Amino acid sequence: MLKIMLFCSSGSSTSMLINRIEEAAKARGIEVAVDAYPEAQMEKYVEEADVVLLGPQVKFILPKAKKICSEKGVPVDVINPVVYGMMDGEKVLDQALSMAKK
Amino acid sequence: MSKFTDSLEEKLMPIAGKIAENRYLASIRDGFMLAVPLITIGAVFLLLANLPIPGYSDFMAKAFGPNWNTFFMRPFEATMSVMSIFVVFGIAYSLAGHYKIDGLSTAAAALAAFLIFTPYIVNYTPEGAKKAIEVSGGIPVDWMGSKGLFVGMLTAILTVEIVRFVVKKGWVIKMPKGVPPAVEKAFSALIPAAIVAVIVDIIRLIFTWTPYGTIHQFIYTVLQTPLTRLGDTLPATLLASFLEQFFWSFGIHGANLVGSVMGPIWLALAAENLQAFQAGHALPHIITQQFHDMYMLLGGSGSTLGLVLGMLFFSKSKQVKSVGKLAIAPGIFNINEPVIFGMPIVLNPIMIIPFILTPLVLTILTYIVMILGLVARPSGVIIPWTTPPVIGGLLVSGISGAIWQLIELVISFFIYLPFLRIVDRQYLEQEQAMAVESQKV
Repeated sequence: MLKIMLFCSSGSSTSMLINRIEEAAKARGIEVAVDAYPEAQMEKYVEEADVVLLGPQVKFILPKAKKICSEKGVPVDVINPVVYGMMDGEKVLDQALSMAKK
Repeated sequence: MSKFTDSLEEKLMPIAGKIAENRYLASIRDGFMLAVPLITIGAVFLLLANLPIPGYSDFMAKAFGPNWNTFFMRPFEATMSVMSIFVVFGIAYSLAGHYKIDGLSTAAAALAAFLIFTPYIVNYTPEGAKKAIEVSGGIPVDWMGSKGLFVGMLTAILTVEIVRFVVKKGWVIKMPKGVPPAVEKAFSALIPAAIVAVIVDIIRLIFTWTPYGTIHQFIYTVLQTPLTRLGDTLPATLLASFLEQFFWSFGIHGANLVGSVMGPIWLALAAENLQAFQAGHALPHIITQQFHDMYMLLGGSGSTLGLVLGMLFFSKSKQVKSVGKLAIAPGIFNINEPVIFGMPIVLNPIMIIPFILTPLVLTILTYIVMILGLVARPSGVIIPWTTPPVIGGLLVSGISGAIWQLIELVISFFIYLPFLRIVDRQYLEQEQAMAVESQKV
C-alpha cells in the first residue's frame, strides 16, 4: 500500500486529484491511499506518508518541505504544472511510483 | 520573453518562500484558522437572529416570547464577539509548535498574558442615567472581540518568544529521576509562565502612566486603526489585488501570500461591520474579507469564472474546450487551478493581461456601486471563500449583492473574451496542423 500525500495552500485543489490518482491506480491494480492537506499542516501528517507531492502553486515552500520530509525520510517533489492543470492522475501516479522506488 | 519571465520567476520564488516561511506570518495565519470556523458559526446565528424577512421578528416574539433572539445571540456572543481569545490561543499554539516547545501550556500562558493586559473594567449605563459609569470586576467583551485582535496577535508572539528564551536558557525546574513525566511537565511550565506574567505585568504598568492608560487602547489607536483604515482604501486594495494576480501569473499562490498580510486587517474590518450590522447602524466599511472573497475573485484568483464559461461555450480548439470542461465544476466553488495551469495562464503573456486586469476592474466598479449605495456593503458575515457566486453575494449583501455578482460575471466574461479568442485560434491552428501532419503519414 503506497500512501501518497498531497499538499497545497488549503488542500482544496489538490483534493481534486485524489479520485483521479486512485482511479488510475485501481485500473493498474495498485493499492494506494491518497490524501490532501493544507501545507501548513505538513508536519502533522508527513509521518503517515510514503511520498509527498506539492501542488505547483506552492512550489516556493519546497525548501521548507524538504527539511520537514527529509527528517522523516519521505521523498518530496512538485507536480508538473501542466499535469496538475489537466488533473492527470496517471502521470501523478507515475511520478509518485518512481519517487517511492528510490 | 521567456528569458525575461524565467529570470523574473527566479527572483520571485525566493521572495514567496521567505514570506511563506516567516514564522510570525505563518503562525498568525494558522492561529486564525482556529478562530474562523467558530466565527463562521457565530455569524450564522447572528443571521438567524436578524433574518431580513418582514414580520420575522414579530412572529418569533409572539411564538417564543420577547427574549426569543437570546437563543441565537448567545452562540454569536461566545464566538465572534470574543474572537481574540481564540486567535491568541491559536497563534501561540502554532508558533510554539514551530519552536518545538509545549503548545498547550504556552498557549495557556499567552491567554493569561492577554488577560493581564486587559483592564477588568466594563462600561455600564444605569437606567435613567445619561453617562456610562465604569464598573470593575468584569472582563470587557469589547477588548476580547475585534478591537483586541492586534494586541492579541502581539501578545501571543511575545509570550512564545519569552517562553522559548527561558526554555533555551534552561531555566526550568528539573525533577530528580523517578518523578512521573506528567508531574515534571506541570512543573516545567511553571517558570516560563511566571516570567511571562511578570514581564507582561510590567508592560501593563508602564502603559498606565501613558495617556492611553492600557496597551489595548494604545495599540488600537496607534496600530490597528491606522492599518485597518489603510486597508479600507481603494489604492491599498488595488495593490493587494495586483500582487495576488501578479504572483499567480508565475504559478505562485498569490492569495496565500497576500492573505497572510491582509487577512487580519480584512477580518478586523469585517468584524467592525458586523458589530454595526448587529446594532442596526450604517456599515462603516466597504473593503472586508468578504469584499475580497466574493466580489474581487469570482471563480478564484483572476475572477476566471467568466473565462471558463467562454472556454466552454465559445471556444473551438480541443485543448481549450477540455480545460473548460475540467474547470467548470471547481470554478463554481472558486477553485481554478485547472485554468491557471491547464489553459495555461501561468507564464502566458496574452492571458496574464486579462488575468491581472479583471480583478482590478471589478474591484473599482464594486467599490463605486457600494459608495453610491446601489449595492449593499458586505455585512461582515464571514462565509467560506468557496461559497459559489450569487449565493455568496446573497449571504453577504442580500439581493443586491447576488445581482451585482451576475453583472460582474458578464463584465469579466467580456474582458477575457478577446484574449480567449487569440489563444483559442493559436491552439486551433496547432491542432489543425497536427491533423494534417498525421494524415500525411
